[in-house]
Amino acid sequence: MSKLKIDPKKCTGCGVCVRSCSFNALQIEDNIAKVNDDCTLCGICTESCPFDAIRIEKESFGGMDISLYSGVWVFAEQHRGEILQVVYELLGKGKELSEKKRCLLTAVLFGEDIKAEIPKLFAYGADRVIYCENPVLRTNLEEDQTRLLEQLIADHKPEIILFGATGFGRSLAPRIAARVGTGLTADCTQLDIDPESGVLLQTRPAFGGNLMATIICPEHRPQMATVRPGVMLAKDPEVPADEADADRKTQEVIALPWIDSASEKQGIEVLQEILSKRTNNIADAEIIVSAGRGIGSQKNMILVKRLAELIGARVGVSRPLVDIGWSEYKNQIGQTGSSVSPKLLITCGISGSVQHLAGIGNAQTIIAINSDPDAAIFSVADYKVVGDCIEILKKLITAFEEEETRVGR
Amino acid sequence: MRNRLIKPVDQDYYEYLRDESRAMGSAESISFPKSLSDVISIVQEMNRKGIPVTIQGARTGLAAGAVPYGGHVLNLSGMDRVLGMRFSQEGRFYVTCEAGVVLSRLNKMIESKKFNVTSWNSGAKAALQELTVAKEQFFSPDPTETSATIGGMVANNASGARSYLYGSTRDHVTALRVVLCNGETLLLRRGDISASGRTISIMTEQGSNIETQLPSYIMPKTKNAAGYFIEDDMDAIDLFIGSGGTLGIITEIELELLQKPMVIWGVNCCFEDEKCAIDFVQAVRTKMKNIAALEFYDGSSLEVLRRQKAENPAFSKLRTVDKRLSSVVYVELHCENEECAIDNLKEIAAQMKISGAKMEDTFVARTESDRDSLYFFRHAIPESVNMLIDQRRLDNPVIRKLAADMSVPDRYLSDIMDMYRSGLEKYHLESAIWGHMGDNHLHVNILPKSTSDYEKGKALYQKWSSEVSKYGGAVSAEHGIGKLKTDQLALMYGAEHIEEMRQLKVAFDPKGLLCPGNFFTLEGGGDK
Amino acid sequence: MKIAVCIKQVPSTNEVSMDPATNTIIRDSRQSVTNPFDTYALEQAVQLKEKLGGEVVAISMGIPGTERLLRDAESRGADKAVLLTDREFAGADTLATSYTLALGIKQLGDVDLILCGKMAVDGDTAQIGPELAEQLGIPHATDVCEIMEAGPKQILCRKNTDWGTMVLRIQLPALLTVSKDINLPRLPSIPGVLFGLTAPFEIKDAITLEADPGRIGLTGSPTQVVNTYVMQRRSEAQSIEGEPASQADKIKKLIKELL
Repeated sequence: MSKLKIDPKKCTGCGVCVRSCSFNALQIEDNIAKVNDDCTLCGICTESCPFDAIRIEKESFGGMDISLYSGVWVFAEQHRGEILQVVYELLGKGKELSEKKRCLLTAVLFGEDIKAEIPKLFAYGADRVIYCENPVLRTNLEEDQTRLLEQLIADHKPEIILFGATGFGRSLAPRIAARVGTGLTADCTQLDIDPESGVLLQTRPAFGGNLMATIICPEHRPQMATVRPGVMLAKDPEVPADEADADRKTQEVIALPWIDSASEKQGIEVLQEILSKRTNNIADAEIIVSAGRGIGSQKNMILVKRLAELIGARVGVSRPLVDIGWSEYKNQIGQTGSSVSPKLLITCGISGSVQHLAGIGNAQTIIAINSDPDAAIFSVADYKVVGDCIEILKKLITAFEEEETRVGR
Repeated sequence: MRNRLIKPVDQDYYEYLRDESRAMGSAESISFPKSLSDVISIVQEMNRKGIPVTIQGARTGLAAGAVPYGGHVLNLSGMDRVLGMRFSQEGRFYVTCEAGVVLSRLNKMIESKKFNVTSWNSGAKAALQELTVAKEQFFSPDPTETSATIGGMVANNASGARSYLYGSTRDHVTALRVVLCNGETLLLRRGDISASGRTISIMTEQGSNIETQLPSYIMPKTKNAAGYFIEDDMDAIDLFIGSGGTLGIITEIELELLQKPMVIWGVNCCFEDEKCAIDFVQAVRTKMKNIAALEFYDGSSLEVLRRQKAENPAFSKLRTVDKRLSSVVYVELHCENEECAIDNLKEIAAQMKISGAKMEDTFVARTESDRDSLYFFRHAIPESVNMLIDQRRLDNPVIRKLAADMSVPDRYLSDIMDMYRSGLEKYHLESAIWGHMGDNHLHVNILPKSTSDYEKGKALYQKWSSEVSKYGGAVSAEHGIGKLKTDQLALMYGAEHIEEMRQLKVAFDPKGLLCPGNFFTLEGGGDK
Repeated sequence: MKIAVCIKQVPSTNEVSMDPATNTIIRDSRQSVTNPFDTYALEQAVQLKEKLGGEVVAISMGIPGTERLLRDAESRGADKAVLLTDREFAGADTLATSYTLALGIKQLGDVDLILCGKMAVDGDTAQIGPELAEQLGIPHATDVCEIMEAGPKQILCRKNTDWGTMVLRIQLPALLTVSKDINLPRLPSIPGVLFGLTAPFEIKDAITLEADPGRIGLTGSPTQVVNTYVMQRRSEAQSIEGEPASQADKIKKLIKELL
């Protein structure tokens, strides 16, 4: 059985681990740390121990012959016949990974009438495309696509599969992971191949978002990961220059025949799909003014909006403000919101949890305003403004308003 | 030589000519001292030139106490350091702050036990070590506006919902440093200097002696922020707490912390009938010892909230109360353990039944997120009333909210509620009543729909002030007198006592330069 | 209708700081709370029970201290609670957790509907719902924002998608994960709090559940954390000093330069 092991030769009874445990599972007895039943094997104490005296011992699985698995796959999610941008971003990263693993990069595409989209997958880096067409696949539903993927995994044994962490991706990927009995890491911000072991290194914000954790799936296959849109970069599409060039590239296309469901009744029926108007997506905004808890009260959102208006920016918020109802989810920036990459980001009263920072990593210039000089946001900001964000906002607004009136005259 | 700290008031500083009361003042110069010596040098210069000085913290006051009517503005927000800490033999913690420390930041420091100790002496650092291993502490005065400065809270004797149990700021101040208008300083420690009857003698740190008679009035035995704190044989420090900046400039304060109760639960108790709610409040305040706050929200407040929720997406997460229920009483329990808290819940249930209500009509907040949601509810009420008034002002700028802030002794709670209700009904005025019913201190807000409503409201307000005084109550229980309630203070105490207050001020501020216009107008100028 | 609600215990804040003395990770030791999204699932279950009759069972895989949160769920309308707890469950990733929860739910008898919060605020993976549905072999839908009709055999609901919403008819038994727009969770009343203190509560361990030792806890988890670290700093930020007015001025100049 897996357990937490404390090395009595290394442990000095210093108690740092006791303080780091949020489950009160550790105590010092006879000058040695002891663990009780409340331990969840979360692993924080293993990182905290200054003497490396704590280890988690894991029993080996040995149930799958992982040497049979090879290939990097990207699930090419489509909506109404169009492949999503995140797929191209995943192909960009997938290409890197497949080159390190010296294997092929395969894209898997399901839809009603999507053959025409296949060249795009090759243009963005796929070496091979497996697709399946059927009217039932017009709307993305988990049941059918899980069944198809299950078959493909059994037949082809891919080593790695990447999914976009879209609404559908976050529902499909875990279903198939449980079907196959393998591990899945969601919302990865970094993906790499370990040079020694060759496993996929999956990094994501963890422990509620203030730390980064690197996760591996050493003994199960396929290794599965989801990635949010806007986190990875798509490569520039390569279109073959001529026929000869096209022939030179291995671009295999495999058609998967439709597999009928074993049961007669569809578990889920779509009665209606309602598309809301294309709202201006914050992920595309060039200039963003964002607000966090430090703005103090809801009435101060008016100031944030006014500054945004004056400089042509989009308003964004950190997650707590959506949780308490001061703004809508579509404005949320962060790991569970949107990833943004503006030319300029001005943050007001945002402390900078790792969860939030995960969404602004690609911002070009960050001006951060916060009254706490030790706020984590300053570790990623280009300009540090320590002060009362409301006072500063008011002054900024006045400064820009005056200019407006002067110019207007 | 011109003091480089003193700046002219140009458009960069227009913000500083008003406070939360929305009254707008005027001033010629402003300064943001960073230290005690800065304050002294500025004050000495103003004194030499005979220029009045208005003292400011975060300008969150509601009575225009920080609004300058000409002269110089001395803004202390730059003096925002926590200077040290003390740990007494009895196991109590004390924190010394400069006047400009903001309440919410102080609370955060105490909660996180993280302080900037760069200028602290070794004794203070040792006290902080004790704090890190001690049980959680807290600073109990909890005014709604947590962006207020400690200096402002002391000058105003601020209080909040929890003052029902823990008292006002006064009860937690153990030492003060005050700069007088001539630049001399007082170092006052509670227990050191007492009056002899109504005569008091205080020595400055520079050796001058100030001896004066105290006013002869008897303060109401209720929650009171109206005028000077005056008592036989009183402690000198209490003269300055709640003095509204009229006697001296408070630059440094030592505050006493309390051990935070292990269990804090909030309960919204809902009643179909307002009279049942009042009966309930009267019963529980005699019977229950663990109540830290006892607040009331009337039917109109709940209705304003419902309307705002329907119109404003910002309030979509708000839980409103069923239309069947007309009043809410919020009870906050502070207990040592959960068994005690459960016993208190059972007592609340029993009292609700006795007062004719149902224990099913309660909402118990035990987790932080539930307490936050009740907090959101409580704060949404004044916010939605303000939003309603703002909407009405768009059509008629004369309209303002009229907010009464009066308290009476316990035995008159029903009488005062009858008085408010009959007055509002007589003049058909829309209103919203909420507040600290445990202290018989209700914020009666008149919501005028027209100019004539506004005029009637003002007249009613004056009438209430004199009635409340007859009941032995205070015309301002919490917001203070500032410049806007000087009439009420005069109504409460009468012209002779007001003159005594003037004489007291003259003893400490002979030229009448400090915050002229606060509490009373000065004879012979210096005011607007 | 018999409804099972999955509850997870999470840390109350996500505050993690570095101890400057030892350069190690210190976690805020305040009391754990119920995953906020799960409170919406519980509220929805209780609303359905109030409308259609039946029973709500709160279930959780956790440490013994999780009893407090399950009793809290009972104070808010759950009729019964079950805690799956065993040292062998520790270290479980979503696959092992969903396996264990599935065993617990199967022992509840004929459950018509399982409700989960969309995601847990400490893990944010949103994987348990779909994985649990797979373990139970029932259909699932994620991010449900409205339940329009619920009957003995099927349920009509609306879910959020990346392009709007979709209305689904789902055959029961099924599993739904719910979003925060579905309802407003209630606070318990005093009678509710008192009920929670003594309400029916069961503890089940790995043996009672007849769990396969190779599929539970860390042993049954394909994924594991190999490294934890604090985010890297960018190069030192340039400080903009002064009073608000002058800071605002400098910021304005910066903005004009950059845009």
